[in-house]
Amino acid sequence: MAEQKNSYYTQGLSVPETPAPGEEPAFWKQTHVVGKRLPRVDAYERVSGAAVYPSDITLPNMIYGAVLRCPHPHANVTKVDVSRAKKMPGVRAVITGQTPEAKKLKWKYNDYSGPLFDTHCRFEGEAVAAVAADTHFQAWDAVRAIDVAYEVLPFVADHNKALSDDAPDIHDSGNLVGTDEYERGDVARGFDAADVVLEQEYHTQSELHTPMELHGCVAGWDKDRLTLWESTQGVYAVQSEIAEILNLPLSKVRVIGHYMGGGFGSKLKPGKYTVLAALLARQSGRPVKLILTREETYLCTGNRPASTMHLKAGVKKDGTLTACDFTCTGPSGAYPAGGTALVDWQIRDLYACDNVRCASKDVYINAGPARPFRAPGHPQASWALEQMMDDLADKIGMDPVALRLKNIPEISQGRNQPYTTTGLKQCIEKGAEQFGWKKAVERAKAHNQTDTHIKRGVGMGACVWFVGGGGPPSTVIIKLFRDGSVNLNMGASDIGTGTKTVMAMVAAEELGVAPEVIQIEHADTETTQYATPSGGSKTVPTESPTVRNAAIAVKRQLLEMASEDLNVPASDLDYEGAQIISRNDKNKRIKVTDVSRLKKRGVVVGVGYRGPNPPKKSVNPFAAQFCELAVNTKTGEMQILRFLSANDSGRVLDRLTYDNQVFGGIVMGIGFGMTEFRQLDARQTGRLCNRNWHDYKLPTALDVPVDMESLPIEIDDPEANNTGTKGLGEPVTIPTAAAIANALFMATGIRFTRAPVNPIEMRRHLTAKKEG
Amino acid sequence: MLPQFSYVRPDTLQDTVRHLKEKNAAIHAGGTDLIGCLRDGIMQVDKIVSLNALSDLHGIRETADGGLVIGALTTITEVAENLLVKQKYPGLSQGSSEVASPQLRNQGTIGGNLCQKPRCWYYRGEFHCLRKGGNTCYALDGEHQFHAIFGHDLICVITHPSDTAPPLAALSAQLKISGPEGSRTVPVENFYLLPVEDLETETVLKPGEVITHIVLPAPAKNLRSSYRKVRARRSWDFALAGLALALEIENDTVTRGRVYLSGAAPVPWRSRPVEEAITGRKLDAATIQKAALAVVEDANPLPENTYKMDLFKGVVEEELNAIR
Ligand SMILES: Cc1cc2nc3c(=O)[nH]c(=O)nc-3n(C[C@H](O)[C@H](O)[C@H](O)COP(=O)(O)OP(=O)(O)OC[C@H]3O[C@@H](n4cnc5c(N)ncnc54)[C@H](O)[C@@H]3O)c2cc1C
Ligand code: SF4
Repeated sequence: MAEQKNSYYTQGLSVPETPAPGEEPAFWKQTHVVGKRLPRVDAYERVSGAAVYPSDITLPNMIYGAVLRCPHPHANVTKVDVSRAKKMPGVRAVITGQTPEAKKLKWKYNDYSGPLFDTHCRFEGEAVAAVAADTHFQAWDAVRAIDVAYEVLPFVADHNKALSDDAPDIHDSGNLVGTDEYERGDVARGFDAADVVLEQEYHTQSELHTPMELHGCVAGWDKDRLTLWESTQGVYAVQSEIAEILNLPLSKVRVIGHYMGGGFGSKLKPGKYTVLAALLARQSGRPVKLILTREETYLCTGNRPASTMHLKAGVKKDGTLTACDFTCTGPSGAYPAGGTALVDWQIRDLYACDNVRCASKDVYINAGPARPFRAPGHPQASWALEQMMDDLADKIGMDPVALRLKNIPEISQGRNQPYTTTGLKQCIEKGAEQFGWKKAVERAKAHNQTDTHIKRGVGMGACVWFVGGGGPPSTVIIKLFRDGSVNLNMGASDIGTGTKTVMAMVAAEELGVAPEVIQIEHADTETTQYATPSGGSKTVPTESPTVRNAAIAVKRQLLEMASEDLNVPASDLDYEGAQIISRNDKNKRIKVTDVSRLKKRGVVVGVGYRGPNPPKKSVNPFAAQFCELAVNTKTGEMQILRFLSANDSGRVLDRLTYDNQVFGGIVMGIGFGMTEFRQLDARQTGRLCNRNWHDYKLPTALDVPVDMESLPIEIDDPEANNTGTKGLGEPVTIPTAAAIANALFMATGIRFTRAPVNPIEMRRHLTAKKEG
Repeated sequence: MLPQFSYVRPDTLQDTVRHLKEKNAAIHAGGTDLIGCLRDGIMQVDKIVSLNALSDLHGIRETADGGLVIGALTTITEVAENLLVKQKYPGLSQGSSEVASPQLRNQGTIGGNLCQKPRCWYYRGEFHCLRKGGNTCYALDGEHQFHAIFGHDLICVITHPSDTAPPLAALSAQLKISGPEGSRTVPVENFYLLPVEDLETETVLKPGEVITHIVLPAPAKNLRSSYRKVRARRSWDFALAGLALALEIENDTVTRGRVYLSGAAPVPWRSRPVEEAITGRKLDAATIQKAALAVVEDANPLPENTYKMDLFKGVVEEELNAIR
């Protein structure tokens, strides 16, 4: 940038027209920065280690917290004696349910509210007491010195047994969290009209959130004001919840979360650990760092609930779906936490079908409460629906791609509203074309005719994501300094997805400045503006229009200011990045940095707000994924050879971060479909068996294909919002596992209805098939 | 959280042994297994005795008769990549490269690999099971899909975790051991103890004893060796089933064969039925079929790990086809 010296502007770029005051900005026709492949604006900090994550924070006088957790899945605490722990070296704070500060506090799960320390422990890992000491070691020694007695209670760990008569009641109300029912059309009539009706039971296992950075925070008090450095997806969400629990004004709770090492839904809210850290800090008068161990996070910071699903579907010979009847049982865990949340959305909304019935049952089990997990509910039902689609296609002798294309809905049937745009058809069509679907199917089938025990298969699946349109509220501030440099201020967290980078690109597009010179301040409730947490694939469609509005607000003010210098009305002026020029008289121009009022004031502050979403329309992303794999039918080993994901998520802002999401989503889907499962010792102790990274099996680099392709299906969606963006982070992982299962079917002729399909499951089925 | 312990790094074997004689002393080589064991609290250790100053224990050298001596502190990566190992004992090279992950292979030593503790998730978890001095084996009636189908006698159903021990045993390697009572040599095949023999320790090492070297006899002229491993995910995972072959093949006929299984039993498991099925025979389809059936002849699978029966058959078929 040497040649640009004192100018921060990218030369020679045209900048979008500034809408007149009160007018909405026009849809970008052609973009110059947006859509490019731009490395992360914070890549240096992340790679060099300069980025400070909450786990890196050390403060003067900081001490360390540790939590005593119930080792039983179900127990009553009958005694907690901390007298010995209190006297241990270095110990500065100990809190239990009897500590006055803690006694009256409540902890909530959805609409359930109970004591912070409940003597009735309903899951392994429930907090019983907490300590803070000068060192980690002292804190853990003190935890071990606490004398606790438990009355161990019978437990239930299997959601399919939770409602049986001999299951112990986890709550006085019983083990049913709630039910959800949905119906449209007449399912019985639909089945009558079908030529083929199939039904199948499907199972998926519980997955555990495994972000790189552990859950936790540093808490410090300054008189009556609490500061939290929290590894979170949303600083304002943490602020509001903690303020409510501790009964503090919002202004007295500052939450900082600049960098964070992933959450996948499990860090949308504060943890109980956040409250404990705050209490320990208050009692000790020191900042307290409380970062959980991996074992603790596996026990108590959430999971994707397991599911037992039943799907019955009918189709006509021509491929028309006539009816779908779906039921699901899933566990919230020990407290209401959305055990079946959104699980039926694929069934309700993805394919055109007039007669649909869904019923789900959310139940309690004695295990850690669920939390949203990347596309909650969706991969589960996709596992069922997409396999069923393939089976139906098989029965009526239709190609799976063709069957899906036959059933593209015109509107969102689940909401009975039109979509702003739907790329479902293009995702399937273009994805199949780019993947070489027809040829790949022929090739695999021909290969499987040859005398080899390595079989091949290709498979696909499609999806819709429940939300993904974002929406208000959001406030963003852009400051343009008198030297032309820019500061972008937003409350949203960058959870590793590249939020900072894409927002810099949006501001750069609108202001004509180079993205590198945009300094971003974000994710701090004291210094940045209100934003909802980064989840639901809504950050881009929520924040990017807001950033755009803030940039426009800057431009409008600059035009007003320049009109004084140039003596022409602002409406006659064009903002062109480096300069402001009169439309009628090109000689009348002024460099932005020469604008008098800017020079005098030193800064222009533009405030942007997120406008409303289009009324009575639904904004949703869509995807279709395709994969090819090989199965060793002697050993049950599998290798995924390639994957393609076609995504309609509206406009691509940064192609690099876009592709990151796509590849990451596929990897996670492979985990769901092939490697990951929570193993509870359900038949004996109810405790968690796999609580480390060896026993809880995330996919490794060797489990995912080198050949992954991202195919954006960009459809103009000016109605969705002013950047035409839709969410991406979740649809990318919805149909992955089902696509794999469909490919496995082609390879082996076996329907894998239980996820994950690892070599153990594969080998079992190969044997069962052989034995007929 | 690690417990409290003292740490010494003696520079002579004599001092090492002296320190190790103390109560609750443990050897530290690469530490990749030991540190995890300490963190998980599965054994009481008060003193850690590092081997790292013992330079004689590093490296690989050829013996006069054409065999190899591998120092116990040689990293697994070095064993996997060493050219002499690759030439003479491909099975050991393959076994080593199947261990864990690149990082663990760079840090972990071959001596430590042979002496690593079991990976049963009850044992590594907060379960006071039989092997940790408790009175029940949780795996037997619990979640044992990863557990043994041989040699457990329904007492303790761990599988031995090492991927280097099966090829070493198949290759007739010997371990040189130093201890308070001097030195001794133990063949790898006799190094491990079944649960019926001893429930709380996995090897014949006595307190204070150190493996110093691994000695491999000169490979016979017609020796072919290999190691094949199947696991639940493709890296950083222990064997569901593994097969180490060391076969002498003359004119297509197996004249001598040693066959060891991993992921099968509480010790590297010698499969005599497979050896018998192939010795003196050509590795044709019929022999291979017989060997595949033979591999699970005396297996005693548990409800959740019967899949290992056909898995071992499949591995034997594939590998005998590959090696002939
Ligand atoms: C996540 C994970 C995955 C793994 N996967 C595999 C796998 O797939 N296959 C596999 O084979 N292994 C696997 N391992 C085990 C790994 O290979 C061993 O941890 C490593 O080889 C041990 O070597 P070390 O030098 O680090 O031993 P240390 O941890 O230092 O020692 C291990 C044990 O051996 C004892 N010891 C060490 N050296 C000697 C000696 N010379 N004489 C006597 N006793 C000694 C120690 O006291 C200790 O009890 C895995 C380990 C981990 C942590
Ligand atoms: S298999 Fe062995 S180590 Fe595992 S629980 Fe049973 S006794 Fe313990």
